[in-house]
Amino acid sequence: MRSGWLAALSVLVCAAAIVVYTQGLRVASIRNNPEGYVAAFAIGATIAGLAVALGRRWYAWAALGLSVLLLLGGAAFNFVLARIPTPHTTLRVGERPPDFTLPDAAGTPVSLADYRGKKPVILVFYRGYW
Amino acid sequence: MAELQGLGAALSEAEQAGVAIIAVSPDPNQQSHDMAERLHLGFRFLADRDLAVTRRYWLLHAHGGEHGEDVPTPTTAVLDRSGAVRWLWVSDNFQVRPDAAEVRRAVRGLE
Repeated sequence: MRSGWLAALSVLVCAAAIVVYTQGLRVASIRNNPEGYVAAFAIGATIAGLAVALGRRWYAWAALGLSVLLLLGGAAFNFVLARIPTPHTTLRVGERPPDFTLPDAAGTPVSLADYRGKKPVILVFYRGYW
Repeated sequence: MAELQGLGAALSEAEQAGVAIIAVSPDPNQQSHDMAERLHLGFRFLADRDLAVTRRYWLLHAHGGEHGEDVPTPTTAVLDRSGAVRWLWVSDNFQVRPDAAEVRRAVRGLE
C-alpha cells in the first residue's frame, strides 16, 4: 500500500512543479530559476523509484515512467534548448553604445541620442512574446 | 514581455517619469503599443522590424525564435544621463529575464 502512496506523491510533486512554474512566470524568483522544476522532477523520479522498490505495481511503474520522462524533457529543455549562445555585444559597461533611430508605436522616429544629457535610459531588447 | 511587466510594477510613477524606458523588438508597432496600453506602461516601443539595430549591437540570436526565426537576445542596459552604459544584463537562457528589483537598484544608484 505504501507503494501506492509514494507513487501518488511522485505524481503530485511533478504536477506541483509544472503548476508553480507556469503560474509563477511573473515572479522573478520562480521564472529566473528554471533549474527548480528540473530538481522537482528529479525528486519526483526518486520517490517513484522508491515506490517501485516497495511494490512492483503498475501504478508505481507508471509514476516512475512519467517522472523520468518529465525529468529528461525538462533537463533537455532547460540545459540545451533554452540556452542562448553568448553574443559578442557591442554594449559595454562604461561605454556609450552606438546611436540608432527607430520608429515608435505612433511612427515617430526616436533616437537614443535624444535622451543624452536629459534622462537616464533603460534600454530593453526583447523578443516580442514572453 | 515579462521583463517589461515587471519593470512597470517595480518602478514608481516618479521613477518612470525620470527615466526613459525604450523597448526594442522586431514586433510590429501596433502589437507592442496595444500591450503597453493594456499594461498602462509609459514605455517607448521601438520597432526593429528587420533587426538592423539588434544586429548592429551584436545581439542577434540566430534561429532562436519559436518558429526558427531570428530574434534578439533578451538584454537590458541602464544608461546614465551622459548615455554611457552603467549596468548590463544579457540572458544566456531564454526562460530567464532580469530581476526588475535589480534594474531598479541600478537606476537608483545612478546619481
